[in-house]
Amino acid sequence: MGIKSFSRARAIHVMLVYTGGCNGCDIEIVNSILSPRFDAEQYNVYLTWNPREADVLVVTGPVTYHNRKPLEAIYEAIPNPKLVVAAGSCALMGGVYKNCSADIPSEEIEGPVENIIPVNAKIPGCAVRPQDVLAGVVSLLPILLDAD
Amino acid sequence: MFENTVIYSILAVIITVLVCFVISTLLPGIERKYIHARIQQRIGPIVISPGIMAPIKFMFKENVEVSSPVSGLYKSLPIICFIVVLCILVALTPQAYQIPALSSLVAIVGFLKVEEICYVLMGALSKSVMSVNMPFPDLIKGATHLNANRSFIEDISARRSLRMITYGSFPLYLALFAPITAAGSIFLSDIVAYQQANGPFLFTLSGAIAAIVFFIGYMIILNEYPFSIIKAKSDVIEGPYMEYASKYRAVVYLTRGFFMFVLGAIFSVLFIGVPPTILSWGILINVAVALIFVFMMGIFSAFSPVFTNRQLLPTILGATLLGILAIVLGLL
Amino acid sequence: MDEKVPRSKIIETEIPMGTVHPAALEPYRVRFFVEDEIVQEAEITIGVNHRGIERIMEGLPVEKANSLTEKICGICSNSHIWNSCRTAEIGLGIEIPERAMYIRVIMGELERLHSHFLYLAHGCEVLSHETFSMRVFYLREIVMELLAMIGGNRVQYGCSVLGGVRPRCDLDEAKLLRLKEDMDKVEEGLTDFANRFTSDSIVMSRISGIGVLPQKQAIKLAVTGPTLRATGVARDLRTTMFEYDDFDYNVVTQPDGDVKSNLLMRALESFESIKIIRQAIANIPEGKVINRDWEMFDTDIIESYIEVPRGTLYHSYALESGRVRHSIIRTPSMSNIGAMQYACIGDQLTDAQLCIVQCDPCFTCSDRAIEVIRR
Repeated sequence: MGIKSFSRARAIHVMLVYTGGCNGCDIEIVNSILSPRFDAEQYNVYLTWNPREADVLVVTGPVTYHNRKPLEAIYEAIPNPKLVVAAGSCALMGGVYKNCSADIPSEEIEGPVENIIPVNAKIPGCAVRPQDVLAGVVSLLPILLDAD
Repeated sequence: MFENTVIYSILAVIITVLVCFVISTLLPGIERKYIHARIQQRIGPIVISPGIMAPIKFMFKENVEVSSPVSGLYKSLPIICFIVVLCILVALTPQAYQIPALSSLVAIVGFLKVEEICYVLMGALSKSVMSVNMPFPDLIKGATHLNANRSFIEDISARRSLRMITYGSFPLYLALFAPITAAGSIFLSDIVAYQQANGPFLFTLSGAIAAIVFFIGYMIILNEYPFSIIKAKSDVIEGPYMEYASKYRAVVYLTRGFFMFVLGAIFSVLFIGVPPTILSWGILINVAVALIFVFMMGIFSAFSPVFTNRQLLPTILGATLLGILAIVLGLL
Repeated sequence: MDEKVPRSKIIETEIPMGTVHPAALEPYRVRFFVEDEIVQEAEITIGVNHRGIERIMEGLPVEKANSLTEKICGICSNSHIWNSCRTAEIGLGIEIPERAMYIRVIMGELERLHSHFLYLAHGCEVLSHETFSMRVFYLREIVMELLAMIGGNRVQYGCSVLGGVRPRCDLDEAKLLRLKEDMDKVEEGLTDFANRFTSDSIVMSRISGIGVLPQKQAIKLAVTGPTLRATGVARDLRTTMFEYDDFDYNVVTQPDGDVKSNLLMRALESFESIKIIRQAIANIPEGKVINRDWEMFDTDIIESYIEVPRGTLYHSYALESGRVRHSIIRTPSMSNIGAMQYACIGDQLTDAQLCIVQCDPCFTCSDRAIEVIRR
């Protein structure tokens, strides 16, 4: 393992972008990093709010119409290598909001996240559990370490 | 013979700086893991993570185009900051006492001022995506002040840094000048010699008060909680550092740890009389002082919220008055 | 103080924040019009989060619509499903078993606890006091695990169904015992935290007198919930709800309407919630938890108001051959937006986000009724 992968495994900056949805996933993710019980910092995962600092972008929520452009802007601001984690069933497939009833698509929802930016890992759950968030971010490590 | 001495001196300075730099990279990790995480009852990151691994990681990131009107200047600012900190450390080494222009308090104060001015420029030049540049469909709806000038959050941060230059860092400079009253000279060599003859300045009444003021100034100039108004997370997010990515952010990270160490070294020179040099065991005292300062700062910052302008002014005023008291006591 | 008067009318500059900002986890845009870092006016634009839940609800079978309302908000999800079921129960005249009513109250109060703890933690985080924030999050984790124990999920539990609660949410002896033990733990932890918080002079000097919302103005802006009670008005809808008839508790008020009052208000109200849960555990009646003996018929528009952690929640719909028609939901944050904008005026920019947070915003709740016009 070179110095590059070694250092990447020991400092991961995560940025959270919340694009609609019900707030549940969002709080669970912040909870998993801020709460002493889960404490993501012991795996050297830090929460940041600056796209220039981030390595991993965690996106929650079905991307609503007004949230599409901010999400794209933030994604573009992150320097390479960058990875995207979609957390929660809304981010994976639009959740309950995607279809009005039967197969009529809702106008307000642009998502799932895959339609807008490339997604590297998906964390299912409604809402995601903090353990799963940590597992999801850590499961990205091999991709992150090998990226140039 | 003379040339040999010069070469040895330069070698000693370089090794000293390198050793200090390596030790300084551990300081942010020590603060984060052993102070903050312990107080917050969690495990916390590994010690090398914030100070060493994060900068190395940023080194390997893509160097993006920063959104700044003068990106060349903006990118060079963290390097200037780093060089300034390096110069301060070089000025503190006993070998540099041969150059009186460098090894005087005036030079150190000048370097610190350059550091502060860099924050203003950084803030003014950074145009991050997080405020005005954030795409939003609706600018007109309900706007009561249609022609208001729109500012980036970093502009606010730059204005605050300007304020910190004018009065915020005053306590630190007062504390720096307190030892002069005892030694009667602005040259570091005289201050060190005086203390080696008469015992550390720290253990006099004036010195003890000045040390407290120095500590407050130390927290202010490092922008640590509670004095982190120029990079308060609740409004300006990261303030001047918003746009730095890859190598430049790595330099920002390294500068912070290095600056913590160098300020500790300034304290040990001015208040204890032990200059940092690899040639004597005194360097252990430098390291110990730097560690004690980091520990104290960590404890303070873990238990205090960020101060707004409302609390900042009285705090700084109080510290300034204490500093004046220290100088007056020293003069008496 | 009756009304805050901005110091001057000069607007030096405008600082937009959002839609992604650390102090506001939710997407909304706030524009501060400042002069010398003093906020002269604040403007909150919501609608970024609009997902059109009410329209999705339209025409759904009422059982499905009930579980959909849970997805309005991840913080007060139980309140939404409770009130939605309650609406149909009022309209169809369904008798709810006593035991189910008690379980609903227990869930409602646990949710109030977790919402208030989240508020305290987020408030401390916006104050940049990481240590206090972590301590409250640690306490909150106990409540979250209780919720997961009863409902099976940490956030959306789906406790209420038409006619009672889901049989899975029934409380047996072991669960009641654990609930009782954990309530002691929470009370102890909260007492400890509240003592430390109020005796911390730095924090107190930072939050007292900030973000004042005068009582007169609060009534004028139709503020609800703890934000209103923090200005000294003892108005709590729980006193009028039949679910709470059996319980003995106080309506807590605070005098000032500033951030300090708001934070203390939440802490004190949490103690009342613990009291209610303890009474419910002690007196929980035996019997079944769900009444399946009811018939569906078409109804006129039905309305129901309940008190949720953030204020008054209003659900209303009509039933037509078992389907929901004309659904309207009004969440407490919607009526508190005026208070958020008002509370910022005259404070430092660093405090402005704190003043918004003190009104306990939940824009996910609020973003439903806005029409999206596409070009």
